[in-house]
Amino acid sequence: MRLQKPLAGKVEAGFPQSEIGILFQDDALLPWRTARENVALGPIFRGVDKKRALDAADEWLERFGLTGFEDRYPRRLSGGQRKRVAIAQAMALKPKLLLMDEPFASLDAIVRARISQEVVELVEREKISVLLVTHDLEEAIALSDAVYLLSQGPRARVTRRYDVPLPRPRDLVRAKTHPAFPPLLEKLWNDLSREVDLSAGAESVEKARAA
Amino acid sequence: MMSDPRYAWVRQLAALAVLLVVWEAAGHAGYLNPLYMPTPTQIWGALAELFGGGSIWPHMQATFTAALGGLALGIVVGITLGVLAALIRPVAELLEPVMLLLNAIPRVILAPLFVIWFGIGLGSKIALAFILVAVVIFFTVFTGIRQVDKKLVERVVTLGGSRIDLLRQVYLPSVAAWVLGNLKVAVGFAFTGAVVGEFVAASRGLGYLLSFAQSTYNAALMLALVLLIMAVVLVIFALAGRLEKRLLRWS
Repeated sequence: MRLQKPLAGKVEAGFPQSEIGILFQDDALLPWRTARENVALGPIFRGVDKKRALDAADEWLERFGLTGFEDRYPRRLSGGQRKRVAIAQAMALKPKLLLMDEPFASLDAIVRARISQEVVELVEREKISVLLVTHDLEEAIALSDAVYLLSQGPRARVTRRYDVPLPRPRDLVRAKTHPAFPPLLEKLWNDLSREVDLSAGAESVEKARAA
Repeated sequence: MMSDPRYAWVRQLAALAVLLVVWEAAGHAGYLNPLYMPTPTQIWGALAELFGGGSIWPHMQATFTAALGGLALGIVVGITLGVLAALIRPVAELLEPVMLLLNAIPRVILAPLFVIWFGIGLGSKIALAFILVAVVIFFTVFTGIRQVDKKLVERVVTLGGSRIDLLRQVYLPSVAAWVLGNLKVAVGFAFTGAVVGEFVAASRGLGYLLSFAQSTYNAALMLALVLLIMAVVLVIFALAGRLEKRLLRWS
């Protein structure tokens, strides 16, 4: 995605890079562009006619319930509204794969629950793949079809894969009361704790050596 | 009413009125030597005389031309050098020490030198206003560009933006915001440069009138001129403020 060059090897997605969208933890909207202009940025960069891109942006904003806020600057939007604009911005490029780095971490609980649900519905409807990175185990299980546990960084690697047997379409509140949810959460939690203990142990050994 | 913050201006105005009345009365009672401290009515008289005869206009024009010319030139050159230094390392290595030195000295001491270089005409005043403004704008832009929000850059890059897109969508709006944020400081410096330049050597301008008033021990004229310069700069501050508000309505 042109953010960092790999030290070795290459990343293969099976489709062009232009079909990968990214959603960061911070919404990072351009403060001097309106909601509409922010959503239209990607398509305009890719050569779509400006007027058509802006019209399409209005449609995306409408889908996220932001009709009437098109001409607002990010400063005059709430945290949840900004996050919706950021999602619309990523979706306006019609990605096949959406990369999310703790996208909901900065939101307060209620807004977070609502936006997570909206994203789940969007992803199920548009049939896009999502790679979500999170510290929140419940979020990981409730949103995903498969959870991969990463070892402690630096040089983190996948240590295990867990399939999530929850049915789709998914309701995030109900997902947490599904009988398969608690045992999976417990297992993930135990494995993650062991991982953290392990690396904490390694660290103290290293410190002891250095001393 | 006595402590309502909405009526602060009433209390300020009342205080000013009291001050003026006491000042005027002290003058008439003979407590103030008019040679050093003329009364408000005498200052007002000097001001009226300047405008009444129309003799003030060529001087105002000279000062405005020098200040605004130096301001425009200083902004253009300051932005250009700031952008170049921020984007090209060797340029920064050459420019930064020079600018730091220029920033460290009170730049008005260059006024006599500029008179030798550019004569006692408009040139030396524009040069002084220019050097005062350009250094401030340079540092604004130079440090500003290096502090551009990394997240915005990443966002534009991941959305497929090119280098030109980055410049247009991220760097230029940021630079515009910083320059506008410092516009008032720059305006103040531009007028300082013009007036001090005229003070040192000139045949026209508000600064020239000031030095003339000094050589004839005319305190009333001096205070009238100080008042006039204050008014002028306040008007320009207001204009700059409106421009800032319009262009930075997103913030």
